[in-house]
Amino acid sequence: MVAAGSRAAGVSEPLPTLLVIPTGIGCEQGGFAGDALPVARLLAAASDCLITHPNVMNGAALYWSDPRIHYVEGWSLDAFAKGSLRLRPQRRQRIGVLFDAGIEPELLLRHRQVLAAARATLGLDIGPELVSDEPLGVRLSQASSGSSWGQLEQPGALLRAGSRLKQAGATAIAVVARFPDDNGSDALQAYRNGSGVDALAGAEAVISHLLVRELQIPCAHAPALAPLAPMAELDSRAAAEELGHTFLPCVLVGLSRAPDLRPASEPWHPQELAIDQVGAVVAPAGALGGETVLACADRGIPIVAVRSNSSLLQVDAAALDLAVVPAADYSAAAGLVLAWREGLDPRALMRPLSAC
Amino acid sequence: MRLQPFELELVIEPQRWQQGRVAACRQALAAHGEPLRWAITAAEQRPEGQWLRLEAVLLV
Repeated sequence: MVAAGSRAAGVSEPLPTLLVIPTGIGCEQGGFAGDALPVARLLAAASDCLITHPNVMNGAALYWSDPRIHYVEGWSLDAFAKGSLRLRPQRRQRIGVLFDAGIEPELLLRHRQVLAAARATLGLDIGPELVSDEPLGVRLSQASSGSSWGQLEQPGALLRAGSRLKQAGATAIAVVARFPDDNGSDALQAYRNGSGVDALAGAEAVISHLLVRELQIPCAHAPALAPLAPMAELDSRAAAEELGHTFLPCVLVGLSRAPDLRPASEPWHPQELAIDQVGAVVAPAGALGGETVLACADRGIPIVAVRSNSSLLQVDAAALDLAVVPAADYSAAAGLVLAWREGLDPRALMRPLSAC
Repeated sequence: MRLQPFELELVIEPQRWQQGRVAACRQALAAHGEPLRWAITAAEQRPEGQWLRLEAVLLV
């Protein structure tokens, strides 16, 4: 929360900060299984209010819940940055669960047991659940840049099921879609070795974007897949996806305290976060061409461009004629955010001192 | 409703680019459908303006 007035003397007010690590473009940090979570934790400590998206936070069976971190799906993050949505922090969401009719009975049972565990072990409010009236038909593809994309053969089935969940009282929705199994392609091997692109990520984003656009409530996605054979040389950054039978726990935890999405046309509530409160956006230096970052640029919000997080793309400040504040890595980015939060000019920390 | 992968290359006049980057991109895509998800995946400043390659999934 960004509530003011209750802070101890000497403790600065939060500096709401956006952390964007685009999905499906092979980022060194955040391109795997929740491997940007340490970055989010650091920036949450530096800013005291971090707004970020599921690709950063989702580590399959691993997750981290922090009231300073606001879990906001990509479509709504774009809308927030454009000023058409505000965020209202919540202590609890009632999570409806939407299963793809294409999931086989045994795999469905595994997922239902995750719901039972989330209720019993974490105390989450898991709301109505249902199976779509026909298989969603997820298809994976790759764009010419090499980034992962995908689509649905039956988007109407997704939206019908989502609407029924919302009508039944869900205030947030976790979607589990059956993704095509990969039985050892070169791309999968590369990903598990830590050098490839997450082939599922693009289609996951399309599913959650479509649902949030329609329902205007927090949504996030977990793919349902058959288990992979164990691999001895597995990259640590991909390891979180090999711990269990599903990718669902992190989604349930993330949604359980996701902020409500409030149209900007409605009266402002003091607890709500709006884009004009945001003090910085942090993004990979070569991946500045997404809607959230560009919307921040349009508003003059400082962009911290992190050089160490390389990806497939080279869409940098020079290519886009953008003004950015460069940071060598996320530790430096956190230093910048903390300096701004404290009212310091970061240039005062450097030698030689630059001219005004 | 159908989801359609889409790619587009274009040049945007510099002043228009500086005045509203999101609006310029969305307007270019909107001629082909509603952009559900999009990003600039290649860019370059050229004498005639800001060159971009956009990759998108459109609702059509």
